[in-house]
Amino acid sequence: MLRLYRSLLFLYPVAYRDEFGPEMTAVFLQAEEEHDGRSLAARALFYGRESGGLILGAAQSHFRSVFGNNLTPFWRFSMQRQFRFPRSTVFLMCVILAAVAFAIDKAQRAQAAISGRVVPTSETVTPLILTFVIVYLVAALAWGILYAFRQTGMHRLDKV
Amino acid sequence: MELLPLTEPVLLVLLSLAEQPRHGYSILKDVEQMSGGRVRLSTGTLYGALQRLLGQGWIERFDDEDTSRDRRSYRLTAKGRRNLQAEIERMRHLTRVAALRVARKEA
Repeated sequence: MLRLYRSLLFLYPVAYRDEFGPEMTAVFLQAEEEHDGRSLAARALFYGRESGGLILGAAQSHFRSVFGNNLTPFWRFSMQRQFRFPRSTVFLMCVILAAVAFAIDKAQRAQAAISGRVVPTSETVTPLILTFVIVYLVAALAWGILYAFRQTGMHRLDKV
Repeated sequence: MELLPLTEPVLLVLLSLAEQPRHGYSILKDVEQMSGGRVRLSTGTLYGALQRLLGQGWIERFDDEDTSRDRRSYRLTAKGRRNLQAEIERMRHLTRVAALRVARKEA
C-alpha cells in the first residue's frame, strides 16, 4: 500500500510534494500501523479514504496553484499574478498532436490496405487537427478574458 | 479572511492547534476524538487544509524536537487565533439566534 500511496503523491504539484510528501508519508505510516490489527472492512475503508483524499487533494492543489487560495475563483476572477501559460506546453501539445495524428493515419492506412481501399489524408487527420485548433482557440480566449479581468483590477472587488 | 466561513475540517484543525502545537498525526487523532469519531481526516485532506492555513498565515510550522520521525509541528499564529475567535463568535451568535427562533416557534 505504501507504494500506491507514494504513486498517488506523484499526482501533486512538484513543489507541494517536496514540501509535504515525506511528512504525509510518515503520518500515513503511523495511521496504517494503527489499523494493522483491525478488521478487513475497517482497513479497506481506511485505504479508500486515504486514496480518495490524495486524489481530491491533488486536484485541489493543482487548482490552487493556478487560481490561488480563493474558494470561488471563477466568478471572482482571482487568477494569480504569477500564473503564466508555460511556452513549453504549446510545443509539447503540438508534438503530442502530431504523434496522435500520425498514429491514426498509419492505422487507417493499414486497415484500408487490408480491405483494398485508398484513404486520402484529409479524411483521417483533418478533423483531428480542426478539433485541436478549435479547443485551443477556445482555451486561449477563456484565458484572455480572465487575464483582461485581472488587468482591470476586478478581482479586488471581492475584498471590498 | 478569505477562508471564512470555515469548513468543518479546517475548523477542527484550528481547534486542535488552539490547545497546543501538534504534528500531523496528533492533529488527525485529536480531530477524530473531538468529533467523537465522526470526522476522520485523510492525510490528503489534512495537508490540504494545513497548506491553505500556512498560506494565509493562520498557522506556522516549526521543527519538532523528536527527529526520529520525519515530522514537523504546527501552531496557531496570532492572526490564526484572532480569526478563530471571530469564527467562534460568529457561530455563537448563530446558535443563539437559532435557539431563540426555535424556542419562539415552540412557544
